[in-house]
Amino acid sequence: MSTTDQEPVLPLISRRRFLQGTALAGVGAFLAACSSGGATAVPGGPSVNPSSAAIPTLPPPTPTESVAPTPKVITGPLHWAQWPAYIDLTGTAATNLKYSPGSSPTLEQFKAKYKVDVDYEEKIEDNNTFYATIQPELVAGAPTGWDLIVITDWLAAKVITKGWAEQIDHTNVPNCVANLRDPLKGQVWDPNNDYHYPWQSGMTGMGYDKTSLASAKIAPPVSLADLWKIDPKKMSFLSESRDTFGLGLLKLGKSADPQQTTADDLQAVHDAIKPLVPGGLTFTGNEYLQNFAAKKTWAAMVWSGDLASSGSADQVFVFPTEGTMLWTDNMLIPKGAVNIYTAELMMNFVYDPAIAGQIANFVYYVSPVKGADVVVKSLNASAPLAPALFDLLFPPADVIAKQHNFQFLSDALETTLNNLYLDLAGG
Amino acid sequence: MTGPSPPLRRGRTGPSVRQRVGKATPYLLLAPGILWLMVFFILPSVQMFLTSVSTGSLDNGFKLTWSGAAYVTSLTKFGPQFENSLIYGGTATLLTFVIGFPVAYTIAFRGGRWKNFLLFMVIAPFFTSFLIRTISWKVLLLDDGPVLSFLRALHVLPADASVIGTPIAVIAGITYNFLPFMILPLYVALEKIDPSLIEAANDLYASRWGAFRRVTIPLALPGIFAGTILTFIPALGDYVNAILLGSPQTQMIGNVIQSRFLLLGDYPVAAALSFILMAAILVAVSIYARALGTEQLTG
Repeated sequence: MSTTDQEPVLPLISRRRFLQGTALAGVGAFLAACSSGGATAVPGGPSVNPSSAAIPTLPPPTPTESVAPTPKVITGPLHWAQWPAYIDLTGTAATNLKYSPGSSPTLEQFKAKYKVDVDYEEKIEDNNTFYATIQPELVAGAPTGWDLIVITDWLAAKVITKGWAEQIDHTNVPNCVANLRDPLKGQVWDPNNDYHYPWQSGMTGMGYDKTSLASAKIAPPVSLADLWKIDPKKMSFLSESRDTFGLGLLKLGKSADPQQTTADDLQAVHDAIKPLVPGGLTFTGNEYLQNFAAKKTWAAMVWSGDLASSGSADQVFVFPTEGTMLWTDNMLIPKGAVNIYTAELMMNFVYDPAIAGQIANFVYYVSPVKGADVVVKSLNASAPLAPALFDLLFPPADVIAKQHNFQFLSDALETTLNNLYLDLAGG
Repeated sequence: MTGPSPPLRRGRTGPSVRQRVGKATPYLLLAPGILWLMVFFILPSVQMFLTSVSTGSLDNGFKLTWSGAAYVTSLTKFGPQFENSLIYGGTATLLTFVIGFPVAYTIAFRGGRWKNFLLFMVIAPFFTSFLIRTISWKVLLLDDGPVLSFLRALHVLPADASVIGTPIAVIAGITYNFLPFMILPLYVALEKIDPSLIEAANDLYASRWGAFRRVTIPLALPGIFAGTILTFIPALGDYVNAILLGSPQTQMIGNVIQSRFLLLGDYPVAAALSFILMAAILVAVSIYARALGTEQLTG
């Protein structure tokens, strides 16, 4: 991808947009399903296997000491389930943001290097929906049909703590071991990366519309607290409750660390947001993009990259002074995978900074790989990225220091969070 | 064994097979329907009721404890949403009637050779998904959308007027989405009316209004009943319009049920709310049916 900085902007939207778009489509599905929704609520638990329903809490499992080393034989094809437009693409695939065999330089290079085929499918549009397709096999201990999957923190945590991920043989992934960026290390649910390596990350911060705020004579927000000074009618927070409450915790000067956050902290966030609701505050997903465009929203909690990709110079993403929320999509090898060694090779391959830079330069998310920034810079040597955009891809050190991962919550905390969020959102 | 004439045998052996089958016919014909209701209505209802008196969590399973806690929560916590449902559902039903009756009347009595075409036009929007239609309303009603821009240009509305996120938007969406459910039953009822009955009323010195009130309306009652029921019940439970066109202030009971079931996994409260809603609808419909006079409703 030696394109300008304009062209790859679109893909960046798709990952989150799909997330939201499917939520909407889900509404339709639920419409059809709502009458039968009750029918599944069999007393005694809706789940076939009780263990499948229980979301395990901390601590994470201790890795088995004696793991049989993976036989180092390349087998294939590698079955890889991925989100749409989440890898570097060329040609019409890049234009349509839809992978077709042969369209991804990274995959082609992998195939050539290891002489193995890759069955890469953009099968994940939503964590929950995808999980539903593999969960029965995982419970039953049967192969899911995938060798490599990419899922967001909270789901990765769930899959790993249930023991449904294959342990990664670290001797097979030297690039991962060497190049994983430090802030992404030490997740409580897999502190030593025995079961996962990050694919890409994104951040949640604030966005505002320059002209709207200027005409209303409001100073652009620099801190989350500034959002509380804006007319709630002209503002939206996120319907992803983890994001809204995570930022709310930061606003209140509380720790946004699932290990330390208490139900009282969440209640405090709720109480801080609640007064804004009668004033007209709304909770949205990516729709804030349309609301910004229609000048209905002046400022909002937003996901990094969305505004940069909206194409309007009026809309600005801000790293709030209090900090940002960080979320990561992670590569896992699900239990029962057939081509484990090949999957490890792929993990290792995409942690080569040259490859990671090539991917980052297309998908425009935060690469987890050290050195990818240098590669992206050199790829764009002829037309350097705008500094603001580059900061989105490779957040500066002061931003990284204030990133918080508020994804993996205990059952109790999650229930509290959902209840409090619903009270705000009116549901 | 082979020879005797059938009539003789029949006379000796009580009711024949044919007679017995004849008696059972209504039940046999009903069987598929009853089976359907059993599997898809009665059983789920029983299950849902049992869920509503259970306690537990999605993760650890629900246990039947015959607890009434879910009903207490349902009845105490969601007053505003019940209120919204009743007001929005009721208003939308009234509006569909006010809008739909003239349409149905015109098609039935003045449609002429355009009848089928006009009916098609009523149903045409249904070829598009419910969601798409509702999202289109969102586009229409946006602050910068065509409707508000036009009204602002006419200085009917102040510059900062907003409809999205208000009850008006939600009611408008529901009204639009359920309009055909009102028009079609009304049309069927009005179409059956013999115009000569109205002529007769006029001949007997009834004014046009008098004939309408004393002939047309009573004969159309079954259609009015069916139309209002078909509109009011789904409108009461609707949540899509409130999600797409409303705000946190305009959520309906359907939204609560949806989020309890799907987001929170709080099945007992969701089931209890569904039951309360069902009971409320039953009561409302039976009062309504009695007020209209049930004997007229079968046409």
